[in-house]
Amino acid sequence: MKKRGYGIANMWYGIGNTANPNPSGAFVDFLDDGTAIVLTGCADIGQGSSTVLAQIAAETLGICVEDVVIVSADTEVTPDAGASSASRQTYVSGNAVRLAAENVRNQVIAIAAELLNIPTETVSLSQGEIWNSDKSSGMSIKEIINKCRSKGILTLGHGSYNPVTTELDPETGQGIPYATYAFATQVSEIEVDTETGIVEVKQIVAAHDVGTAINPQNVEGQIEGGCAMGIGYALLEEVILKDGEIQNPGMSTYLIPTALDVPEIHTIIIEESEISGPYGAKGVGEPALVPTAAAIANAVADALGIRMYELPLTPEKIIAAIKNRKEVEAI
Amino acid sequence: MPEYNIIGKSVQRIDGPRKVSGEAQYAADLDIPGALCLKVLRSKVAHALLQGIDTREALKVPGVVGIFTHVDIPGINSYGIIVKDQPALTNRVRFKGDAIALVAAEDEASANKALRLIKVSLQDLSPIYDIREAMREDAPAIHETGNILSVYKVKKGDVESAFKQADVVIPGSYTTQRVEHCYIETEAGVAYMDNDMLVIKAGTQNPHYDRRDVARVLGLAMNKLRIIQTTTGGGFGGKLDISVQCFLGLAALKLGRPVKIAYDRQESFVATGKRHPFFIDYITAANREGKLLAVKVRIVGDTGAYASYGPATLLRAAVHATGPYEVPNVDIEAFCVYTNNPFSGAMRGFGTPQMAFACESQLDLVAQAVNISPLEIRRRNIFQKGSLTATQQKLDVSVGIGKTLEAAWEKALQVMPGLGDENK
Repeated sequence: MKKRGYGIANMWYGIGNTANPNPSGAFVDFLDDGTAIVLTGCADIGQGSSTVLAQIAAETLGICVEDVVIVSADTEVTPDAGASSASRQTYVSGNAVRLAAENVRNQVIAIAAELLNIPTETVSLSQGEIWNSDKSSGMSIKEIINKCRSKGILTLGHGSYNPVTTELDPETGQGIPYATYAFATQVSEIEVDTETGIVEVKQIVAAHDVGTAINPQNVEGQIEGGCAMGIGYALLEEVILKDGEIQNPGMSTYLIPTALDVPEIHTIIIEESEISGPYGAKGVGEPALVPTAAAIANAVADALGIRMYELPLTPEKIIAAIKNRKEVEAI
Repeated sequence: MPEYNIIGKSVQRIDGPRKVSGEAQYAADLDIPGALCLKVLRSKVAHALLQGIDTREALKVPGVVGIFTHVDIPGINSYGIIVKDQPALTNRVRFKGDAIALVAAEDEASANKALRLIKVSLQDLSPIYDIREAMREDAPAIHETGNILSVYKVKKGDVESAFKQADVVIPGSYTTQRVEHCYIETEAGVAYMDNDMLVIKAGTQNPHYDRRDVARVLGLAMNKLRIIQTTTGGGFGGKLDISVQCFLGLAALKLGRPVKIAYDRQESFVATGKRHPFFIDYITAANREGKLLAVKVRIVGDTGAYASYGPATLLRAAVHATGPYEVPNVDIEAFCVYTNNPFSGAMRGFGTPQMAFACESQLDLVAQAVNISPLEIRRRNIFQKGSLTATQQKLDVSVGIGKTLEAAWEKALQVMPGLGDENK
């Protein structure tokens, strides 16, 4: 018999290293033709950090994203940006790049204000042009950069950022471990075959508060990938040891979800702006996975009326649990 | 002026076209003419002292250019992001997979042949695979500092009094498994000398950390070592540790020739970190309205042979153990423990997926006990603006859990008709 169940799980996740400094640095070179190079130690491991950092630089410099080149993760030329871990790069390196870009932007604004004879406070950079309050001045950013060159000014910017945290008391743990937190709720719908013990995840709703989503499609990609990984964690994956030796060191015996195991994932992005984040951003890399297995486990308990206390929820364990309950009920 | 031109726009991934077209070069795609092939001899026993290594026969294999062991490490033979407890090439084996020797050869077949001819004599030590056994006071120490590497505590209020006053007190013991990251790309890299600069190109999540520890192991000035991250096919925490970097640097430095290494899937499984298996004892107390009063949580994490990111994983688990809920009284302790199992390190979530499984299961059990829905118990306990966390941090801004809960539920009601039927 197939039984359907529904489960819900919440999560919170502190962005950055726990109660430890984890600074990031960045350099920006705003070039004569209005393009820019960003130097950052941030390793893009497929999560999309270089794209997000290019967007932050482009927005801050008032140019289009195609005019930004990111040079990343080369210790001879890029400053330390710390690890691509702890869901920290959008928040920490995003801030470093924002600060470096603001640093150079302010130099451009100062020269523009002088030329246009207007106060710096009303000057901004947008769409490749110099703006005076809400109107374009008609002057391009490129012209101002060339003006800088004629005055002997290289438009170079640097920035670094370290999240504001405190140490934790060793006995009580009291303190501020993280500057900000991401939050999420996932609801999963599953079906359990009570004869085979196989659990099929039918749908997942995943609502994630990431602060400002710098690149919504990237955020959705992270959420969908996290849910897929969470399905593996809940139902399939386990490194099996025998006397400390891995018994299943390969993809034929260590099962991860395939496209057939991953159902429709309804992603919802909630943007609770974080005042200390770059343009209000927090992070999403790890949060995407954190509540998935918990929600699936709750759904399985809902379907069967049996609570399981050990991951992964394999068919063998589910059959054993059903059998065990039958025996208990028979007594 | 529009508020934002580029923030909030789904611009195309800048790395996308090269990956989709197959032009992107991952570390194993890099070919340097004349590069030597590197292979690692790994331990088949879990716990032993190395008494001797005989490489004479192996060195006679045609094509073999060099074989290195712990005596060849020019700097300090230990690394680790938090605790420097892991040797690049070991003289004391602590898990099945520990690296003992490094072979450099003109081709893969010669390197593999040499691996089979290296003779290792070991003095066996009794291995500890069970974490409870490792925690016993009389257990043999896997590292000099003892097997309990770190203990983290989060304490607030008076849990025992709260248990007495509570209408329901629910205990639960949860177990989670060891997991492999299974990134698409296994560990790989190349290295070469560029005049007096050692250049290492490898897949990594943290090139600047790699530089620190590779410089330490090789005894190099940091400005004479250049780490370049190659296009990386996933990490999920598994490429935060040193894997191939020290091997590459050692061989290139010693031999003055370009070198290359690539783990196959099996070596990637055997040699690199895993998600920590957790044992969690979780007691939750609530009043009859389902308002949480207290939690008492004990977490034990098996970090295996080396610390890697273990301390950070257990600390984060302790700090996040309550879930995103207001709990006035907490008593949380987390233990990071060495065993002779493969080492555990960072993996997406750093201990919080384990804790979410326990915490969220407990909430459903409490809801059942006080006869309210899983949704309702969460509504009654989630953080609000101004809430205090277990570490007494006041959450003033950007607390979106109320919104995610309501938005997820509303969407679930739309797309999961069965959910509405049950009126949960």
